[in-house]
Order: sequence, then structure tokens, then C-alpha cells
Amino acid sequence: MTSPSASSRKVLSKIACGRLQKELVEWQVNPPAGFKHKVSDNLQRWVIEVNGAPGTLYANETYQLQVDFPEHYPMEAPQVIFVPPAPLHPHIYSNGHICLDILYDSWSPAMTVSSICISILSMLSSSPVKQRPADNDRYVKNCRNGRSPKETRWWFHDDKV
Amino acid sequence: MQNQEELPLDAEMESMTSVKVSEADNWANIKDDDIMQQQSAIWAKEAEKLPFVGDKEPLSSLAAEYQSGSPILLEKIKVLNEKYAGIRRTRGDGNCFFRSFMFSYLLLKGLLGCQIKEHILVSQDREEVDRITTNVEKCKKTLQSLGYAEFTFEDFFALFLEQLESVMEENEASISHDELLQRSRDQSVSDYVVMFFRFVTSGEIRKRAEFFEPFILGLTNATVEQFCKSAVEPMGEESDHVHITALSDALGVPIRVIYLDRSSCDAGGVSVNHHDFIPASGDLPSVTAGGPETISPFINLLYRPGHYDILYPK
Repeated sequence: MTSPSASSRKVLSKIACGRLQKELVEWQVNPPAGFKHKVSDNLQRWVIEVNGAPGTLYANETYQLQVDFPEHYPMEAPQVIFVPPAPLHPHIYSNGHICLDILYDSWSPAMTVSSICISILSMLSSSPVKQRPADNDRYVKNCRNGRSPKETRWWFHDDKV
Repeated sequence: MQNQEELPLDAEMESMTSVKVSEADNWANIKDDDIMQQQSAIWAKEAEKLPFVGDKEPLSSLAAEYQSGSPILLEKIKVLNEKYAGIRRTRGDGNCFFRSFMFSYLLLKGLLGCQIKEHILVSQDREEVDRITTNVEKCKKTLQSLGYAEFTFEDFFALFLEQLESVMEENEASISHDELLQRSRDQSVSDYVVMFFRFVTSGEIRKRAEFFEPFILGLTNATVEQFCKSAVEPMGEESDHVHITALSDALGVPIRVIYLDRSSCDAGGVSVNHHDFIPASGDLPSVTAGGPETISPFINLLYRPGHYDILYPK
């Protein structure tokens, strides 16, 4: 909530670096089921492979999540988007932006990359239908200037999916 | 939200919620960019008006706020005047309870605390720091047993303990009153301490889920866990009696909340209600030993619907 757009481009603070290194170790020991993170030397951007859960609409499909950490992570939420092509889902826009409260207003430093992944997979798994959000075209058009989803004022209206 | 000039401090969070709803009605007409910009402008304005923790002001500044307002409130402020000498305001950013608690606690436990409240002796400060440190250790164990990964909370715990040590007089790195104020206003310290309290509060609520459940059900439909995830752990979520009870119990620090609202009693005269949050554990600061009936909390917070400030007793 306190994140101006520029913050995500600044280098990580010392606390953020330390925290991410610990998260990385934890991920390597205990990765969330269905996710693969190819460790690179870029601590500030993680690219994570997501496999749709068996028995759901997204079974046997693979997507990529891009997680960018701001200077003041974990006080500030990371920016999480799907690298297009994004899964067809009522809360996921074709530009990869995800409408999920924990990524914005309800973010807390008590959460981790791993817990975000689990929430996103659960959101995918509970979807009853493969379709884009109703306002997809308008939203994506408004984002053409390369805006971060963290600069969107999300309205979380649906707690079923 | 065109009248941002008039946005009262203490109503900030509520007005944001209502914005969300009204936005939905004409969602198509409003550009997100505009809304975000306007919101950042409001926040910037807030920050300019008031730091996280303000300067100490005489109680008359409170009365001045209601000059042309409710006569009941003015009467109540007169009553407050008999017991309290000053007020220190905190920013209305949803973290005001935790921020007020942080500042009052650290200040009163610090060097200057002895001058403000004679009965908190320097010799007892070490004892108090040890007591709180023990309680903080217990909170850490609680979080671990609830399944929180240690790396999610350890930085926040370390930073709080560092602040606690730094207000000790015999500590060579002991800080002054001004330094404490600066730290409380420095986002990188202040927000971390607030988040420490949020962890402690959440851990206590979840540990005693059965006790807190009925109170939480009275506020929302959420389960205890959902409540902690959505209303305790995120920054900027306002505090209620559930949060205050949990924090007071977990740290073993009594808190008095004085209510300034428009309610009046039937008997005619005006009185000011207060509620004392007394830790359940029987683990209390040594200055307040002697049974619950004699406890007089040294942390006094003024509550106006949606907001907490610090009060200074005479």
C-alpha cells in the first residue's frame, strides 16, 4: 500500500536481502508442491513454474509466475504476475495481472513466496470455469503503459473462486 | 473523494472502505491511475500533517478540535482535564493503537520514564526488561508451534528487543527521549515494531482461539485464523478490543483505554468511560503488583471511534 511504482526498481534493502536468502533456502529444502523455481543469481526476481493441480481444469498445464521484490520487502508486497500466456481464469487478466487480495491490501510480512504460490494454486484449482474476467479488455488496455498491478485499485468482490 | 481537505484523521480507514464500494458503482468511469494518484496525495498530505507519533500537546488542543462541535464531547474533555495533562497524537493510518502502545511503553520504561512517573524506578527497569524479554520468548515459541516459519518473524522480534534494550539507562547505548521520538517517526523502525506487535497479537489470539472465538464472531463472520490473516497481520488493519486484549495478555502489560464518544449517561451528569485491559496471566509489571483491584495501568490511550492517541496522566 505504501509502494510508489519506482520502489520495485530500487535495489533490495539489507533486511530484504537477508529475508530472501532465508526464503530461498527454505524453498530449496521444502518447495511447495506443484512449483519449480530455477534459482538464478537474481535474488530480486524469481521466475517460478506452476503446474496445474491434477483433477482440476488446469491439470497438465504449465505456467510461469514472475515475482519481483521491492526494496522494502517484506514490509511491502512483492509484485506477482503470470508471464503471458496466463491461465484462463475469472481473476487473471490476459496481461498476467492477478486479482488476489493477499498480493495487495491484505499482504502481510507473515506471508512468504511459498504461501503466495499455495494461494495462487488454490485459486486456480477452485475455478469452475476457464474464462477471462469480464472487464479484461478494458483493464488490459489501461495497463498498456506498463503499469504494475500494485498500482491498480483492486476491488475484491468474489470470495468463492 | 473530492473533499480530501476535510478528511478527518480518525475516519481515514472507514472512508477508504466506502470508496471501494462507491468505485464499484461507476468503475467504468474512473481511471485507476487517477484514483491511485489521488490516494497517494491523501497519504502524503496526512504524513505532512502528522508524523507517525506527534509532539506532546496540552489537553486544551483536544478541546480546540471540538470548539464548535458536540457539547457532550466538550463536557467530557473537561472531565478528562481533571486527570490528564496532555495528549500525543498518532497518525491515523490503521496502526495507531500499536504505535501508541510502542511509544508509551518504551518511553515510560526508559530513562525519562523515571521523571514522568516517579514510581517506575530505574532499578526496576532491568527487571521489567527481563520480564518482557521472557514474555517475548514465549511469543516466539507460540508462533513456532503454530507453524510460522522463524524467518518470517525473527527480524521483527530482534528489532523490538533492540529498542527495548536501547531505552535502558545503564545500557551504554541508551537513547534519549528525542532519539526515541525520532525512531518512532522513522518508518524503518516504527513499522517493524508495529509488525512485531501484530505477530505477537496474532500468535496470542490463535493460541487461545477458543477464548477469542466468540469475540471475533461478534465482529465478523471469519474464523479465528481468517481473522488473524486479514485483520491482525496486514499493516494498516485497525485494532479492536480483541487485539488489545491479546497484546496486553501476551506481553503482560496492562492498558487503559479512555473512550471519548458522544454517549451520555441517563443520570444527567457527564462521565468518561474507560476500560482496563489487565493481563490474564497474573504476570504483571512489579510496579503494579498487588492484585488486579489495585492495578493502575501506566499506558493510557484515548479512543475516539476509529482512532487511538496517547494520554498523559497528571
